[in-house]
Amino acid sequence: MARRDTSVPYQPQSRPEAVVSDTGERLDGRGLEEFRSAFLSPHALSQAAGSAYAECGKTKVMVGVYGPRQSARATAFSEQGRVQCDVKLASFATRQRRRFGQSTDERELSGLLATALEAAVLRHTFPKSCIDIYCLVLESGGSELTVAITAAAMAIADAGIAMADVVTACSVSRVAGQLLLDPTADEAFREDGSVLLAMMPAANLVTQLVVTGEWSSAQMKQALCLCMGGCLQLDAVTRKALASSEEQALAAMRIE
Amino acid sequence: MAAAEITDSLEADAFKKLYPDQFYARFIADGIRPDGRPLGRARTASIGLGAVSTADSSALVKFGNSTALAGIKLEIMVPKDDTPNQGQLSIAVEMAPMCSPDMRPGRPSDAAQVLVEQLNNALLASAKAVNLDDLCIDPGKAAWVAYLDIYVLDSDGSLADVTLLAAVAALATLRLPHVAVTDGGNVVPSSEAAEAAAPDEMAVEPTKLQLRSVPLALTCGLYKDQLIVGLTAEEEALVATSVTTIVDDQGRLIGQLKAGGRAEMDIARLQDCIEAAKLRYAELAGILQQAITQYDGSG
Repeated sequence: MARRDTSVPYQPQSRPEAVVSDTGERLDGRGLEEFRSAFLSPHALSQAAGSAYAECGKTKVMVGVYGPRQSARATAFSEQGRVQCDVKLASFATRQRRRFGQSTDERELSGLLATALEAAVLRHTFPKSCIDIYCLVLESGGSELTVAITAAAMAIADAGIAMADVVTACSVSRVAGQLLLDPTADEAFREDGSVLLAMMPAANLVTQLVVTGEWSSAQMKQALCLCMGGCLQLDAVTRKALASSEEQALAAMRIE
Repeated sequence: MAAAEITDSLEADAFKKLYPDQFYARFIADGIRPDGRPLGRARTASIGLGAVSTADSSALVKFGNSTALAGIKLEIMVPKDDTPNQGQLSIAVEMAPMCSPDMRPGRPSDAAQVLVEQLNNALLASAKAVNLDDLCIDPGKAAWVAYLDIYVLDSDGSLADVTLLAAVAALATLRLPHVAVTDGGNVVPSSEAAEAAAPDEMAVEPTKLQLRSVPLALTCGLYKDQLIVGLTAEEEALVATSVTTIVDDQGRLIGQLKAGGRAEMDIARLQDCIEAAKLRYAELAGILQQAITQYDGSG
């Protein structure tokens, strides 16, 4: 839909300057190494083969998985199945309204999501076909990509597609020399360096590592430890949610 | 024992997939639908308000599995020359690619555009639910644009009904900040403007956008000469034709759309649709009012 937007945003409040108080408390009351409260729920959609809804603090992400099926795009023969990802942000998900149509940051998110999951999905089990992973960020409160990776892995598991292990992801931002686990959008805005780690916790293997900024090796090690701790926490939540949804499905089958 | 039960349910699933029409016809012959509803009952509705904190107002609405998320972002524009004291309401519907297996990312679908037309008709053209004069800040200088964007997350039938309720719920909880236009043409919070000029009134609570009427919709279908109320996606594929009826709070008919189909409808049937829509209206208006009261109470 071609809408000529000639309006300007109205934003009376600017982003906060300091994100950590002198007592080491963050704006939302968390400690530096504290995770936001996470809510994960598989099987959130009726039409998709697998789906998941994830909420970390204010970040809300819905993921639907379709397939394995024929690719809509013409692709060459491949013995390995494809993992196609499409990440979109809702127009009202960010501080400033987003225009319709895919932007470059959405393409980047889509690409990073695909590479983070490819290593975990057993792609030889569906040769010549693809799985489509559609992800919509309903509200962007920071660390969208990590929430999207965790939710997408859960949706793939919900779809019953074979994986080596679930994937969980976690990020750390460095603001004024301090490391902040699971940053919000305001915190990430002030960062001078970031680490994003996606891993298969049970196998203890890393599927993706994205580092920006300049890091000393000691601080890098500290950041990676923080990320791994976060991934393990999320892994526990993921497995619990998947197990209870499976139990519910079995119970429903018995009643029928 | 358990294994035998599971086989039975698998066979029922296979029958449903292979012969959906026969599967459905057997239910309808007994006066009940596969999900346990009688023919004349629409699905239970739920409304979640203020789900998205980055939006100026938002509403998540579910009818059974069908889910829509509406969000409004306010921006400021210079009013058009021929309507200097009017703002703008810009409506868009996006079928998220996850909502159904037929949807692929990319170009907006035609189905979404039909929904936009129905919303435009219900909210602006016929019912005039939103008075665009209410969106004016300073005539000829500045006005609000309300970007109402609705995402269909799960497409399980009756999308016109779900999207309209989501749109109405978001609009009913929209608050317009108090602002003033400075001499330089900038829009600032009116408290700042009041401090700069003579402070005759201090900033108060943002005003609620007043809805002049509240239109709501109901989609009915015709299956083997029986009227089926509140269709699911499976039913939409089976019915001969479907009719969406929009009525408002005074029981007036705002719009009716019979989107083609393989059968014609007589006037009596259309009257039945209107009566069903009025019944459904009372139910939905109650849920909407309850959700708004609860939301206003929580701040």
